[in-house]
Amino acid sequence: MSFAIIVDSTSDMNAAMRKKYDIDYVAMNYVVDGIEYPASLDWTAHSPKEFYDMMREGKRITTTQVPRESLVSAFSAQLEQGKDVVYVACSSALSGSWNLSTLVAEELAQQYPEHRVYCVDSLISSLGQSAIAVLAAKLREEGKTAAETASYLEEHRLRFNQYGSCDTLEYLRRAGRVKASKAFFGNLFGVKPILISDKVGQNYAVKKAKGALNARIALADGIAEVVENSAEQVLYISHADNEDGAMQVKDLILERAPFADVEVSYITPIVGSCVGPGTIIAFCYGKEVTVQGE
Amino acid sequence: MNSTQAQHSVLHADRWQAMLVGGYRNLKRNMTVVDDLNVFPVPDGDTGKNMTMTMEGGAAGIREEFDSIGEMMARFSRASLFAARGNSGVILSQFIRGLAVGSEGVTDYTPVTFAKAFACGKEFAYHAVATPTEGTMLTLLREGDAFLQCHSFEDFDTCLSALLSQMRLTLQKTPDLLPVLKEAGVVDSGGAGLVCIFEGMLSALRGEEIEDDAPVAATEFSAMTAFNENSTLEYGYCTEFILQLLRAKTDIDTFSLPQLTETLQQMGDSVVTVQDGSVIKVHVHTFAPDEVIAYVRQYGELVTVKIENMSVQHSEIQTASQPKERQKYAVVATATGEGIKQFFAGVGVDVVIDGGRTNNPSTEDFIDAFDQLNAEYIVVLPNDSNVIMTAQQAAELYNNADVRVVETRSLAEGYSALSMMDLAAPTVEELIGDMTAGLPNVTTASVAPANRDTTFSGVTIHKGDWLGCEGDTVWSAHADPIAAAMQLFERLPNMDDKQVVTAFYGNGATEQEVMAFEEAFADAFPLVEIGFIEGGQDVYRYIFAVE
Repeated sequence: MSFAIIVDSTSDMNAAMRKKYDIDYVAMNYVVDGIEYPASLDWTAHSPKEFYDMMREGKRITTTQVPRESLVSAFSAQLEQGKDVVYVACSSALSGSWNLSTLVAEELAQQYPEHRVYCVDSLISSLGQSAIAVLAAKLREEGKTAAETASYLEEHRLRFNQYGSCDTLEYLRRAGRVKASKAFFGNLFGVKPILISDKVGQNYAVKKAKGALNARIALADGIAEVVENSAEQVLYISHADNEDGAMQVKDLILERAPFADVEVSYITPIVGSCVGPGTIIAFCYGKEVTVQGE
Repeated sequence: MNSTQAQHSVLHADRWQAMLVGGYRNLKRNMTVVDDLNVFPVPDGDTGKNMTMTMEGGAAGIREEFDSIGEMMARFSRASLFAARGNSGVILSQFIRGLAVGSEGVTDYTPVTFAKAFACGKEFAYHAVATPTEGTMLTLLREGDAFLQCHSFEDFDTCLSALLSQMRLTLQKTPDLLPVLKEAGVVDSGGAGLVCIFEGMLSALRGEEIEDDAPVAATEFSAMTAFNENSTLEYGYCTEFILQLLRAKTDIDTFSLPQLTETLQQMGDSVVTVQDGSVIKVHVHTFAPDEVIAYVRQYGELVTVKIENMSVQHSEIQTASQPKERQKYAVVATATGEGIKQFFAGVGVDVVIDGGRTNNPSTEDFIDAFDQLNAEYIVVLPNDSNVIMTAQQAAELYNNADVRVVETRSLAEGYSALSMMDLAAPTVEELIGDMTAGLPNVTTASVAPANRDTTFSGVTIHKGDWLGCEGDTVWSAHADPIAAAMQLFERLPNMDDKQVVTAFYGNGATEQEVMAFEEAFADAFPLVEIGFIEGGQDVYRYIFAVE
């Protein structure tokens, strides 16, 4: 019996991927100048350029987790059709959406005792979260149940590795979504943090690189070090309005490890407002993440 | 010369003591002459000062009487090792250390025992440097030693004056041995300093009195403070003095200390007064020390007085963290310029030692800094090529921590090392590895004023021009600092490989100038990120870390 797969706005999963893998999403919201917009994965309110230019001009953008009613309606719609749901949520260290979804799932269980919503804390975001959802779609294709899929994802989620680099830690720090000491980055000019997603799903600045090119090299080195069986895998790269940089990272990684396919996509407004313009993040499947930020 | 003067076949400790002091005084008198023998056409020469302060420390260590030269030299050596600053000072202090080692057990010098000690001094001086450069103080010591070893002298007067002639001869040859000296048209400054010392020693041997100028350390105080032309007096002056009550001015028997104290409390705070007979000791914090002094002089005259700007004390305390729980790592760095110092403190430096190119800290300054810390490992960033040896000497003399010197040759390299530092590193090797990995890629560049008309590295320079320099190479000279800086970057050979420029702008750079420069740079080098930090340094309009 098939089941539905749902992600949310932090997955950065574009329309083509959603169509290809039959995945739906629930939207968070972002607020600019007091106006709330749904964080569409298809850029319905602002184009990527418009959005990141607002950030470059210093506009403060805040975000909200997935509203309760969105979760209720998205989940009930599937349950109504007699389907189980696997919700691959943004890392619980970065958003309250997963936590809320477990409460919603419990309530709906009474209403729909025959079917169930499995809420998986992805412990990652952006295309790393998408990659986990894509894995779910493959398991579904293999005939696995929602329960089997959810427990498989929970067992393997820490195999998804992230190497990201922001132009500045300022946005992440402001959003409270990074672990790094003040002295580590201070207001050091030209120093780019290299961020992994640690074993509790928090962004953690593991090292620093001087200059944009050195940062990209550090991402490529990081991916090459952790990846396993790269030739059978998809490499995911997301970027905040930095296509040239993303292409360079792609080339640098492919010089180090061959991948079966590469998926490059924009970082959409929720993650984008936390990491800032220029950010590039690469994801792959490989060694289990064991690091935890101090 | 006075023909009736006694010749010295044997030197007793008292005469040798007078000679050491004479050497120090004569060097001090010639300090600026030696400073000006600067290869680099920027007013930052300090060899004379560094050597003088090294000798000054030594001389201060031998104020009492000694029965034996060996004992005195041990004291003189230890004191000069601590006072040593700058490469020339460190080499001099190591020469003195060798002299002391070669004088162990020696009560009086004969020309033979002196020559033996000199040879030992030369050995120590050579060992002080990893790659000895000829055409420097070292050559004077080497040829002086060779001269002493192949001549024998009956008396010291002949011995020392012949040695001095040999040293002067060698000094004149230094430009032939070291091309940079020839290009600049100067003799080696460290060698010149050494000649000054031996001239003073010979005069003292002959019984001539050398006038004593004020100690350098005291006159240097103002230059080493955190108070500059943009500062405001925030904390007033810590004022302390001893007042001798005078019968001519007051009736000492009826003089009222409580009344004086009360008046002082209206002029300031933290007032402490102690009376001992007709002598009063006073401590007061005040914004008007002049008024305090005018007031108390109604009753007598000052025996001693000390007035210290407390803004300076305040900022010095700020940088000196209290010894707390033992940390794994602590960082000590030298820096000049208030902005740079604050910046360094903000990125994890525990103690910032004031100093740098024009104001080299002493070995003791480093040891004092180490003493303020409580850490397993102390990482030291000398941040100037002329400070590295001093830091290493301090590391060698210090026992309470494992001191590692990261050989940063400039503030730019120090900045780069700090920017990559991760104090969470599991081992000191990894900590230092992160800091040093990028150093080979750091180009240190600067814009500084020329102090003379000259031609340097093929660039024609007019006095007052702004020079665009890469380390000690001059790439551009222009009346306008921005133009000098832009030409510098256009001519820097490896700009294509560079990604980030961090610019520390110094005193004198206006906001408009910095903005105009940033714009010009962004136009010319769109792929290079540039960032500006208010460095507040003197002399250097800009210091660039080009990475």
